[in-house]
Amino acid sequence: MSEPILSVRDLTTSFFTRRGEVQAVRGVSFDVHEGEMLGLVGESGSGKSITCMSVLRLLKAGGTIKAGSATFEGTDILSLDEDALSDLRGNRIGVIFQDPMTSLNPTLTVGEQVMEAVRRHRKASAAEARARAVELFELVRIPSAAKRLDSYPHEFSGGMRQRVMIAMALACDPKLLIADEPTTALDVTIQRQILALLKDLQRRLGMSVILITHDLGVIAEVTDRVLVLYGGLVMETAPVRELFARPAHPYTVGLLGAVPDLRDDTHKRLTPIPGSPPNMLAPPPGCPFAPRCVHAMSQCMAALPPLFGAAHQSRCWLQHPEAPKVDAVHEVAA
Amino acid sequence: MRAMTQPLLQLRDLHKHFRLPAAPFAPKPVLKAVDGVDLDLMKGETLGLVGESGCGKSTLARTVIRLHEPTSGSIVFDGQEVGKAPEGLLGNFRRRVQMIFQDPYASLNPRMSVGDLIAEPLEIAGIGTAAERRKKVAGLLDRVGLPSDSAQRFAHEFSGGQRQRIGIARAIALEPDLVICDEPISALDVSVQAQVVNMLEDLQADLGLTYLFITHDLSMVRHISDRIGVMYLGKIVELATSADLYHRPSHPYTRALLSAIPVPDPEAARAAEPMQGEIPSPIDIPSGCRFRTRCPLAVELCAKVEPQLTDIGGGHLAACHFAGELAQQANGVRAPL
Repeated sequence: MSEPILSVRDLTTSFFTRRGEVQAVRGVSFDVHEGEMLGLVGESGSGKSITCMSVLRLLKAGGTIKAGSATFEGTDILSLDEDALSDLRGNRIGVIFQDPMTSLNPTLTVGEQVMEAVRRHRKASAAEARARAVELFELVRIPSAAKRLDSYPHEFSGGMRQRVMIAMALACDPKLLIADEPTTALDVTIQRQILALLKDLQRRLGMSVILITHDLGVIAEVTDRVLVLYGGLVMETAPVRELFARPAHPYTVGLLGAVPDLRDDTHKRLTPIPGSPPNMLAPPPGCPFAPRCVHAMSQCMAALPPLFGAAHQSRCWLQHPEAPKVDAVHEVAA
Repeated sequence: MRAMTQPLLQLRDLHKHFRLPAAPFAPKPVLKAVDGVDLDLMKGETLGLVGESGCGKSTLARTVIRLHEPTSGSIVFDGQEVGKAPEGLLGNFRRRVQMIFQDPYASLNPRMSVGDLIAEPLEIAGIGTAAERRKKVAGLLDRVGLPSDSAQRFAHEFSGGQRQRIGIARAIALEPDLVICDEPISALDVSVQAQVVNMLEDLQADLGLTYLFITHDLSMVRHISDRIGVMYLGKIVELATSADLYHRPSHPYTRALLSAIPVPDPEAARAAEPMQGEIPSPIDIPSGCRFRTRCPLAVELCAKVEPQLTDIGGGHLAACHFAGELAQQANGVRAPL
């Protein structure tokens, strides 16, 4: 595979709150290659959104990147000044968020907002910007594009607003699109339309996409490669088919067992993961999943396992050559 | 399948319309949230109600428990008409029908201890002395798998899944017959959803509860329900046992919904084309069949004649002029996105 367009190494982000330091991201590393869709999956508090907000340097008050690097097209984003950052965001890197209702300005027409996104980074006359906006609306398949430019966000449905957000994110032909739970607020039939659109855009524009979601179904539908996050750490990473065919971390196995199979007629009882996610104010010293893990050994409580494996990696002591073999958890190749 | 002898709840032609504020000199627009629902809920069964946002499923639930006054139609609970009964005569109905809400953060009073929260329904119903209620609360906490010291603590000290357990303890405190679950797991993380669903199943088996389970999660509704009703713009468009609905979806809307669900299996065959268009406004419901504006099969007839919910065999009901033909076809083939 070619040189990665984004390379994140040992990213560590904390939030300093009244109650103490919330260790949201604890050394996350990954690459995004040209034209690929990388899925970041995890539950609330796993660090998946904070990882991407750190890369974009869009952390809320109290959030600090403590260590690590994020190299995008050869420059370290984490060392850029504000001006250089603004040139990058919305230009080379586009972003869409979960809630299209609150991400748009209700007092401006959607056309004005898309044109603003175009003119923020490009020299363009009003007419040129408008033409580009029409083009973008057509790209994201908003019907009667030219006419809809003059509508206000409240005149659009949730699905159409998300299309507007995608049009804005694509305004300057970004190399990378970061989509943070883009379909979570949408109905299932609309979700499918938006996922189909994102997949189509990724292919047609040769764009790389980071898709953040909590839904393994969405991951299976559209991504090429997956990072499974838990407790601010990458627990498992693999190409999407490999991950679902041979899950190699007990957390991934647990997640897959906790959702009902639509195709199953036997009414099999669900296998929940006991307990609840770790408190990131004081994450356990060992594996963060160990307290909920059915295979946990004393070693798991004592020390944080490294990522074992190469193309398919798993952060689990079961992958250690001397560890006992467990049926449900597949082995990764060294 | 669980024992189904007689209907515990019968809805007949139930409507709930809301009058919205009008523009000057214009008639007030009417939002038809529930627009003619017939439904029999059998004792001991779980009936799932699915549909997209705005289809009226939550309004239906709230109308059934009289949080909303029905516009017309009847609600018969255990043989008694409760749809029009004055509030003062609803005491028994109010005890026997309880609700679990979606948001375990908003539905629990942050100023009350968990013990007081769970004892509140008992207190309102005038059951037991304070000491007896405390004992009952301890039993309920144990029942929903919360530590016994939870009674003195407050809701904010608990995680989302634990809060939903508190909500469930409140709902079962009065030993109800019918529990209406309005998106009880939607706000929870995947790993915790299964805990709550398994607990709801255990409670049903132990206490003989009947569930009306409202959700937009089609995989979960298939798992938990005996029968499933699919709602679209205020009406039930298809109703069948959950296996039958999945294997023989006979309304084009049900087919579109089923094929839109993301399946956690990259090898699964997938629907070729996502359904186009979006749900129309319930203020301006299309003539004839309400689904025709998004339906790939719609013909002239569909704009003129509204299809009625008809039995297409084995108690499988569908409201589509082509339901008979659709039922003959197997579940649609899925192709990758």
